[in-house]
Amino acid sequence: MSSPTRPARPEPEPATTPAEELLVLSERTPPPSQANDALVAGTAIASAVFAVVFAVALLLEAPLPVYGIALALAMLLLAVAVRRYFTDRFPDVEAAEPRLHLDEGDDAPIADVEPVGRRPFLTRILIGAGAVLGLSFAAPVSSLGPSPGNALRTTAWQRGLRVVDGDGEPLRPDDIPVGGVATAWPNGAVGDEPSSLVVLRLSGQPQPPTDLDWVVDGSVVAYSKVCTHAGCPVALYRERDSALFCPCHQSTFDANRGAVPTFGPAARALPQLPLGVDADGYLVALGDFESQVGPAFG
Amino acid sequence: MTPLFALLFDQLDDRLRLRRPGRAVANKVFPHHWSFLLGEVALFSLIVLVATGIFLTLFYRPSTEPVIYTGSNPLYVGTSMPAAFESILRMSEDVPGALLIRRIHRGASHLFLAATVLHMLRILLTGAFRKPRELNYHLGIVLLTLAIAEGFLGYSLPYDSLAGTGIRIAYSEVLSFPFVGDRLAFWIFGGEFPTGDVIPRFFAFHVLVVPGIIIGTVSLHLLLLVRQKHTQFPRTGIDGHRMIVGKPLWPAQFAESATLMLWTAGLLTLAAVFIPWSDVALLGPYVPAEVGNNAQPDWFMFWLEGVLRMIPALEWDLPGLTISGPFIAGVVLPGLVFGALIAYPFIERRVYHLSGEWHVLQNPLDIPLRAAYAIGTFSFVLIASAAATNDQLSRLTGIPIETATWGFRIASMFVPPVLAFLLYRYSKGRLRRRGLAVASSEQEADSRFHEPASEQQPVT
Ligand code: HEM
Ligand code: FES
Repeated sequence: MSSPTRPARPEPEPATTPAEELLVLSERTPPPSQANDALVAGTAIASAVFAVVFAVALLLEAPLPVYGIALALAMLLLAVAVRRYFTDRFPDVEAAEPRLHLDEGDDAPIADVEPVGRRPFLTRILIGAGAVLGLSFAAPVSSLGPSPGNALRTTAWQRGLRVVDGDGEPLRPDDIPVGGVATAWPNGAVGDEPSSLVVLRLSGQPQPPTDLDWVVDGSVVAYSKVCTHAGCPVALYRERDSALFCPCHQSTFDANRGAVPTFGPAARALPQLPLGVDADGYLVALGDFESQVGPAFG
Repeated sequence: MTPLFALLFDQLDDRLRLRRPGRAVANKVFPHHWSFLLGEVALFSLIVLVATGIFLTLFYRPSTEPVIYTGSNPLYVGTSMPAAFESILRMSEDVPGALLIRRIHRGASHLFLAATVLHMLRILLTGAFRKPRELNYHLGIVLLTLAIAEGFLGYSLPYDSLAGTGIRIAYSEVLSFPFVGDRLAFWIFGGEFPTGDVIPRFFAFHVLVVPGIIIGTVSLHLLLLVRQKHTQFPRTGIDGHRMIVGKPLWPAQFAESATLMLWTAGLLTLAAVFIPWSDVALLGPYVPAEVGNNAQPDWFMFWLEGVLRMIPALEWDLPGLTISGPFIAGVVLPGLVFGALIAYPFIERRVYHLSGEWHVLQNPLDIPLRAAYAIGTFSFVLIASAAATNDQLSRLTGIPIETATWGFRIASMFVPPVLAFLLYRYSKGRLRRRGLAVASSEQEADSRFHEPASEQQPVT
């Protein structure tokens, strides 16, 4: 290990202490013949040119690739210039520093103002009061949202509400062809996600646990569209095996058998909407879902 | 120094006495190894993120109120869409430069997370987390968590169809907490999903709260790094326990870092020209009850998504509470992975009765437990991430989705423990063949490094 090689600068300063001094282990000075000033100057100037191209192209609203590539080149060329500039101008130094060792700390006494030994419990009361004040700051959290109450157990569906499509048009059983499927909503609540519905006309014979009283025309059923796994819309229907399919994590439900899950992470059937037809021949709800819609909670 | 800088410096020095502390900073030594640059890449992507993010904040509208789009994308003219999506579309199509900046911002978010994860791997594998650096390791885990959260929040803001689906699933995850799930979800999301509060709140967290905490934590992370100094790889003839060897901050490390910053920003810009990430125009705005195929989060959420896909149907109704699949998959399992990450430094120290401070890095094969733990965890995370592509895989290969999912279920259960066991046996055998056990102090590890095993007396 060589000794420090840096001569102190002619300054009226005291000699530097070892902590600040560089302990040089090896030093390799690049020979001036290897310096490539042309490269440094060339890349730096090219970088500046591309920076100007970037700014002007952007001001003139040129296409994205023009100013994008100009900006990228300006930065990359500057990187090359900086690298080479430092390589040419500075010796390559390897240095050492002593490590700080925690087990070798200095034990110099520290002058503290010591309290008069009196009533330590007062300190605890003060800290306790501060902690209580801090905790009370959490109270406004309860203003962040309404109390859940029954909101997650009910939807907008009510007895007599018509079943409408996304445009608010009421649906008749005949609007659903065999093997067809429609996304539907309660009249007046289009877009209310927890109430979203898939209405389908089964090509097979519905079987329990489907509630057959809620099947219209012997084949039209309505299920909640909210996946009971994590709430994605159950968006796909495969007629071949009457499978309702959730694209998020591939839960599969058997629409012929009360939409019980047949594969994937969902554990509960999609709730079936009590479905009927009103005097004008439109699909209506006979009531809200009888089981909880969507994913499980707490 | 040019005269201007010298004058400025002299003036400041006159008032602040900078010469000595300045020299101490300039002479700080940085060990030289490429893996030490990963943390810097994370830092530089963070800088790019902040710079581009400020620009985006000036155009983004944090609201889901429906507005009529009047911009220049012919696909959407005259249609009603959430204001957030509209503002994203408008800035991308009609604000010069904004699309480039959006793409750089997204690209930098991917790089930030990728560099953070790789940086963590280097810390974990080489043992830079050991005493006295446990606290900095734990600050790092806080940073990783915040980075994932920040990424998810940003992914949500455009309120495109993928973003809305992601928020819906996050809401269901919060609902799944036993006892408090519904209460908690209503607090965070402002009521039953979807509410108008979600986007304004996510916006405040994405641009103010989380970045603020990240910047504060990174500063502390670097402060600790300076105070404790870097670790370093072993080198012949150098007592790494007492000395740190490398290049001084000025000029070598400064040149290296400045170049790296420029490379990072330049390559991110170049990537933004060619890779249309973050172009949400084709995804369309989020519409409740609609979702397409290939609904997937960003890659750093794949492992969570994959677990959600693999977990079998389960829902236990206990008196007063429900434990559901999404709770196990989205809360318990990630909790275990992060818990193990947090606990690992203490476990290793206890299992091998390690003593003293450790400043010299090791080959992970020298510590069988660490090798086994790392390969077990990361093979699990990789398999779970792959499982998040089961639908695409099934469509591409024609394998039924059920078969693909079962394949991933079985692989994720058996491959990680088997790999961990095999690597444990291998590293243990490797040590035994050289007649060694795990070194319990740095001096012991160092003496082995300095006199090769063949010259040592085998321990019998
Ligand atoms: C936001 C993300 C992060 C940033 C910006 C960051 C930045 C940095 C930087 C610049 C360094 C010095 C260079 C280096 O050693 O790579 C460093 C060191 C360190 N980081 Fe991070 N880091 C992040 C996340 C993490 C994570 C996730 C962990 C581990 C769980 C971690 C643990 C450490 C440790 C223990 C050191 C000291 C390494 C040594 O002395 O060799 N950091 N970090
Ligand atoms: S949300 Fe339907 S399977 Fe997960």
